[in-house]
Amino acid sequence: MSIRTEEMTLNMGPQHPSTHGVLRFVIKADGEVMREAIPDVGYLHRSIEKIAEKVGYHGFMPYTDRVDYVSAMFTNQGWAMACERLGGIVVPRRGEYCRVIAAEFNRIASHLLSVGTMGMDIGAMTPFTHAIREREMINDLIEELCGARLTFNYMRIGGVGWDLPPGWREKALAYLDHFDPIWEEYNALISYNKIYVERLANVGVISTQDAIDYNLVGPNLRGSGFKWDIRKDIPYSVYPEFDFDVPVGTGEFGTLGDAMDRYMVRIREMRESSKILRQALNRIPDGPVLAKVPRNFKPKAGECQVRVESSRGDMGWYAVSDGSAYPWRVHVRTGSFAAMGMINKLSRGLMIADLVTLIASLDVIAPEIDR
Amino acid sequence: MAKSYFGNIKDAITTIFEGLAVTASHLIRKPYTVQYPDRIPVRVQDTLPIRYRGILEVDLDICTGCLACERACPIDCIVIVVEKDKQTRQMLISQFDIDIAKCMYCGLCSEPCPTGSIHHTTEFEGADFSLESMIRRFVPEPIYAYKPAKGPETDPRIIPILNRGMRYVNEFAQPGSDKPAEKVA
Amino acid sequence: MQQLADSLIAQGMFGANPPRDLIYALFIFVFSLIVFLGIAFPFAGIVSWVERRVWARMQSRCGPNRVGPNGFLQWLADGLKHICKEDLIPADSDPALFKFAPYLVILAFTLPWAVMPFSSQLILADLNVGILYMTSVTALTVVGVLMAGWASNDKWSLIGGIRSAAQIVSYEIPAGLSIFPAVLMAGTLSMQGIIKAQGWAPWTWFAFSNPFTFIAANVLYISALAEGNRTPFDLPEAESELVAGFATEYSGMRYLFFFAAEWGNLFIIGAIITTLFLGGWQFPLISNNAVVMNVLQLITFNIKVLFLVFISVWVRGTLPRVRIDQLMSLCWKYLVPISFVDLVGTAAWIAIWPSGNSVAPWIMLALFLAIVVTFLRRVLHYFRRSKMELYLSPTI
Repeated sequence: MSIRTEEMTLNMGPQHPSTHGVLRFVIKADGEVMREAIPDVGYLHRSIEKIAEKVGYHGFMPYTDRVDYVSAMFTNQGWAMACERLGGIVVPRRGEYCRVIAAEFNRIASHLLSVGTMGMDIGAMTPFTHAIREREMINDLIEELCGARLTFNYMRIGGVGWDLPPGWREKALAYLDHFDPIWEEYNALISYNKIYVERLANVGVISTQDAIDYNLVGPNLRGSGFKWDIRKDIPYSVYPEFDFDVPVGTGEFGTLGDAMDRYMVRIREMRESSKILRQALNRIPDGPVLAKVPRNFKPKAGECQVRVESSRGDMGWYAVSDGSAYPWRVHVRTGSFAAMGMINKLSRGLMIADLVTLIASLDVIAPEIDR
Repeated sequence: MAKSYFGNIKDAITTIFEGLAVTASHLIRKPYTVQYPDRIPVRVQDTLPIRYRGILEVDLDICTGCLACERACPIDCIVIVVEKDKQTRQMLISQFDIDIAKCMYCGLCSEPCPTGSIHHTTEFEGADFSLESMIRRFVPEPIYAYKPAKGPETDPRIIPILNRGMRYVNEFAQPGSDKPAEKVA
Repeated sequence: MQQLADSLIAQGMFGANPPRDLIYALFIFVFSLIVFLGIAFPFAGIVSWVERRVWARMQSRCGPNRVGPNGFLQWLADGLKHICKEDLIPADSDPALFKFAPYLVILAFTLPWAVMPFSSQLILADLNVGILYMTSVTALTVVGVLMAGWASNDKWSLIGGIRSAAQIVSYEIPAGLSIFPAVLMAGTLSMQGIIKAQGWAPWTWFAFSNPFTFIAANVLYISALAEGNRTPFDLPEAESELVAGFATEYSGMRYLFFFAAEWGNLFIIGAIITTLFLGGWQFPLISNNAVVMNVLQLITFNIKVLFLVFISVWVRGTLPRVRIDQLMSLCWKYLVPISFVDLVGTAAWIAIWPSGNSVAPWIMLALFLAIVVTFLRRVLHYFRRSKMELYLSPTI
């Protein structure tokens, strides 16, 4: 007599605790081992691109916060840069510095959330609250800067909405002094923990070629050992003025391009961001922060594509103007959507527990996938 | 083989040892929680910065009825009705409603306000039982719009309100405060 | 128990010629009720509060601090809340098994208390196979958990149940093997016998008597954590993977039963290790009054157990969760061989020094203290590095 076995179809999400928002995966599993995991996107689609065609150039700025709510500064910046290129506006230098400062703080906050939830998905609750504690302090700073903690709406077409408040620079530098040594503690707590390394190393290995073929961007691409950072390679804003490195995966804990590499790239990127922030805060020039832009901004007919290195990688903003006060078409290209396309391939042969690791290591954010 | 076997054991013990030391050191640190809403020395609303974008409020005493906020609002949550009083030839505001259930607290309305009349407060506790109560009606009966005086304001009742409003407006980056933007060819 | 009942019968409390067996049974019943309802369940509840508080402080939070002094009554509030909730049973489940599973788990949690050696006289039944009885009845949990996972008719629950079965069955082996070094040293399986073979001083405890028993104590603790489904081995209820594992479909009182058993099991884990390796209730003989001595012994025993419970809470606040294949490889590749070596090593040690080596305990103790001192230095290092003023102000 032979025992009949069959594949088990598991439905993971959209209300699963570790799917980071509303994602859904249909898992075909043989016991603990997955045959494949089929991602199902679209639960958070809010037609943000279509809304842009109705609310005009200035009015779309708050909506960009919702494209990627964990790192809203970059979506702000992408949209502002697209409009500036359409309208031929030059941002004052102080404005650019304010943008870089806000954006790099946001990058740290976003990566903190990513590495914190990574720990939580692996089962350690303490690193998450430690990361969130640090993120709260950044949120306090950003709140003082622009009045909101999540949906910043800080940038405007032609600069930023608010100048740095008095005394803010000192607070920010004091925070960085606190933040830099925290990493030794955080790494001792979780990053070098043997169980953690074992869970992450050699899981979800993406070869350099695969990462390029599947169009991965940001830390996911750099984790596979390919050095590609828009801030360095297609410089925008005032990034060429700063001295910073682009960390890439080294495969020190396992194979090149595994989950641990992506995790370590994020941790090292936070230090680089801190380096940029110190330079920017010390060197910020005087002057206006906002260029003069008419209230009814009507750029000449044309199209443009800008690229921003968001915390989830190369974010493309494509805008078409027909000369009216409303954009004719807006499209956002985000890193999370490309990363979702890779999950099906990577999930084959992994265990169910590894899928959670994989999603967390790719750092997908549900609203960024669907927009 | 044997090296990696015992190396694994050693790694596990030393790294777990360090991790336990970190958590133990947190046992003797202070917690970072703000025990909202009751066990806090000051109300959270009072600790928030002036730029905080809480529930919108309108000072009708200094509202010029220019409709800049209504035009700037991307979701049309502000409804203003202004008509011209035939007898006094002044602007009469007969309706100024803000639907705070719709409002997304973006701050685009308070930016173009010339006097800082419409501004975000640090108040954020807005829960209520009906959607109807979410619509804040600021004009109980038609009121004349504020007309900025030529030169400095002289009305002693208006001066503190206007000062507060201008302080709020001055937080925003003043467009082109030094030089106009250069056009790229 | 029997002496107490006999003396009361002799005083004529139950009439002239009472049915003795019935009275013994009544005594055992009443005492069990006191132990289960008065000690086991409140203990499980209080541990839940301790765990949440300690855990919270490790995470820079406050934890439950509103109900009662410092939130001490939180466990009562939670228990009451769970009892008041609706008892939901999924439509396509197996209702009989679904309802029965929590009782089986709670049974596996209450049975070991029968041989719990609180002090030299406070023990319900000093079985001559006490430790064997304890390990066998605690393994009943697996049946309850598997039953819960199967009866829920939910795939996440099923995976949780199967994981639990695989885990508990595997870890029985290193746990069982690590018990034997202590049994070899004491020459008995009785709980009281093992404790009596040790003294009150740390250098007379089995844990420090030779290097093999020290490792055995650690292996036993790790295996016991795995059997109790505690982090880093909480795979059956892995929150981030399996929603809530075998307890996904449970709510209300039945859910409470599972978690009361989980927290209560911590006491049992601590008690086993305290008995076997840490000298149990042993306390220096400072009084001839039996009541005083019993109370002191009770306190000693509980302090040791609670310290071990604290360590498990602390570990839970620190470590991530292992994967199922790593769980198995840890058991079969590391713990099982190590515990075999321990067993053989202890046997050899006893063969070489039948009456015990007089130097080894001191060396072991010195090593242990060196580890503790190193550890405290690391704690102070991390404490000093933190910028306290940033922690003390709620807003920067």
